[in-house]
Amino acid sequence: MATPLRVRAALVAAATGLVLTGCAGVTPAKNETSSGGDVVLRVQGMPAPTDTAALAQFKRLVQDFQAKNPGITIEGTENRWDPLTFSAKLAGKTIEDVIQVPLTEPQGLIARKHVQPITEQLKQWTHYQEFNPQVLQPLSDSAGQVYGIPQAPFAQGLVYNRKLFTQAGLDPDKPPATWDEVRAAAKQISAKTGKAGFVHESKGNTGGWQLTMLTYTHGGSMETEQGGKYVAAVNDPATKRSLELLQAMRWTDNSMGQNQLLDQDDVVKQFAAGQLGMFMGTPGTYRLAKTKFGMKNTADYGVTSLPQAGGNATLGGAEVYMVPASVPKEKVDAAVKWLLFAQAEPQYEPAIAAERAKELAKDPKAAVGVPTLPMFSTAQQDKINAAIKPYVNVELDHFKPWLEGTPKLTLKPEPPIAAQKLYTILDTVVQSVLTKRDADVDALLTKAQADADKMLAAEQK
Amino acid sequence: MTTLLERRAAAEPAATAPQPRASRRRAGLRRELLGLLFLAPSLVVFGLFSWWPILRGLLISFQQTNLVDPAVWVGLENFRTVLSDPLVGKALLNTLLFVGLGLVIGFPAPIVLAAVMSTVRRFAGVYRVVVYLPVVVPPVVAILLWKWFYDPGSGLFNQLLGLVGLGPYPWLQSPNTAMLSLVLEATWAGMGGAALIYLAAMTGVPSELYEAAESDGAGIWRRIWHVMLPQLRPVIGLLLLLQLIGTIQVFTEPYIFTQGGPDDATLTVLLLIFRYAFQDGQYGQAAALSVLLAIVLAVLSAVYLRLTRSWSTK
Repeated sequence: MATPLRVRAALVAAATGLVLTGCAGVTPAKNETSSGGDVVLRVQGMPAPTDTAALAQFKRLVQDFQAKNPGITIEGTENRWDPLTFSAKLAGKTIEDVIQVPLTEPQGLIARKHVQPITEQLKQWTHYQEFNPQVLQPLSDSAGQVYGIPQAPFAQGLVYNRKLFTQAGLDPDKPPATWDEVRAAAKQISAKTGKAGFVHESKGNTGGWQLTMLTYTHGGSMETEQGGKYVAAVNDPATKRSLELLQAMRWTDNSMGQNQLLDQDDVVKQFAAGQLGMFMGTPGTYRLAKTKFGMKNTADYGVTSLPQAGGNATLGGAEVYMVPASVPKEKVDAAVKWLLFAQAEPQYEPAIAAERAKELAKDPKAAVGVPTLPMFSTAQQDKINAAIKPYVNVELDHFKPWLEGTPKLTLKPEPPIAAQKLYTILDTVVQSVLTKRDADVDALLTKAQADADKMLAAEQK
Repeated sequence: MTTLLERRAAAEPAATAPQPRASRRRAGLRRELLGLLFLAPSLVVFGLFSWWPILRGLLISFQQTNLVDPAVWVGLENFRTVLSDPLVGKALLNTLLFVGLGLVIGFPAPIVLAAVMSTVRRFAGVYRVVVYLPVVVPPVVAILLWKWFYDPGSGLFNQLLGLVGLGPYPWLQSPNTAMLSLVLEATWAGMGGAALIYLAAMTGVPSELYEAAESDGAGIWRRIWHVMLPQLRPVIGLLLLLQLIGTIQVFTEPYIFTQGGPDDATLTVLLLIFRYAFQDGQYGQAAALSVLLAIVLAVLSAVYLRLTRSWSTK
């Protein structure tokens, strides 16, 4: 008697479960539209309550936007890109309608069709044609469709601690312009101050990402096109020279400190605490160091263009706003309106930029006027810079080397196919060089090339 | 529940007047439905949060999906891709290394600790609290704390070892020592619970056995070897299997300490599954590797069930 009862119970439970989960699958997401037919737009990127000035500004932006766009209601969330929850929220159709992602992610999201193109909506905007193509390039696919808008576009540079430079007998107004100079400066900083002269990230794909920018400065690239398909260009003299530079700094000069296995947050945290001399990063790390990691002496922050070794190139970088593929059409229109209002217009219209800078500057903890690459033309950026000048609270002089050096460099995009997977392969290479004294660079690159070729072939099947 | 219903069903006809067969069947059905009604909430919760995800995971392992567009059936393609990934072999070896080191270091530690605690008379409660304390520290907090202990420059361990002229050691920073460092933390974090179970089992060993052994001239080691350990055998066996199943699924330590590095030295199977799914967006491959891992765990569980059954009948 017991068995049939158990079987029946299991069947009833299974049926109930399936019915319930089935219901969950067909129930529309709660945020489709509000009762009055208004579009309710859930957007990531709302500042945290601790960042009071930025949060107040965000709330005012929302009010202004809603006043100008009746029928659209904005619901801000503090969420940002989180790979752990993104997939589940995407599958459950609970992902926000506008997501904020670091610039390492867009190409992967585009390739997996997790985000949707917004070119059509962007084209409705009067100034669309004036966008700096270099800024949109990392957010576009090979067919030229655009998938996002950057918050503040940057090019990678070299961030350095001006105080440690002075302590080490270096001139903080003449930062290194070549990798030979970086090596010498790092050695001097380590010897004179006992701090790490230079650090290279190596965890969570950032190792591969930073090796890519280092390789660009040595004249290489990570993927090349052959007969319409991309193959890896990892086993290349430029990458080899980059790794040998790291190897020499780590083991011969002993100028990279003891702590490896770092990601960007680890590095900026150490930098904000005055524990390291130099790292590859954008001027955007100033904001991170000041507002997130509480850097007290922001006057110690310096940034220059990415040092070179024959490549004359750098890599772009920024936070980006994108629209997930699951968002319905009418919400995409609203999302692009919001993005143009919140992100693009203040980087085009001097009056709007000035108003926002003024408001933000009320809080001394905020970082106002961190220089960026022009989102539009240089002339337009000059107008913006002039308009916000009275409210700037960052030490603009300390960004001069980056501002002056970067326009002389070519802004190269990330590897076009499966950049993140390539970075995973390269992370291992960087980690080996940084943690094994006797790492064989040639052998590592040969293996990485084979792994990358196999991965790229599978990706382009 | 089932047993109770059956008993009642068996007892009732004797107490009441004989009923027609159809009426009896109706009454039985009503009782069954009532039982199911009480069961329903648990069944729904299990169905929703355990069975459906398991079923869905199994389905996804045969599909290619980005979780937005309709999934495409790809047969065994995901399994083939996963099995041809050289990292799978590496992750498996690393996982086995973690399991092995866990057995060598982590397994005897709570037994020794419990044996020591069982002989200590003064401040016994204090020792128990101290030993159990790491268990109540949230794993992430414990790992972040140990990350500082392991810091190659200013970390606690290197500072202490430096006082006696040892080190500095790279701990997490070297492929040779990273996995060992993870096991040490995991042992510290997990041994409190096991030690208390052993302690309880040790107090259950009749003192006459020790006394008899002692009067036969057995020293402390022979008493431990010939009296205590044989008495603890069932508990040791169970905890051994539980540890095996637990350590095969190690994720938090490598994820927070090293993210699999350096040089993939701490890349475990679960971390690789995580990478497939959340770093590369290859949900099918992640599900396929999960299914393979589930099969291994199912075999272990079968062994566990078989052993517990044989022990309980002894």
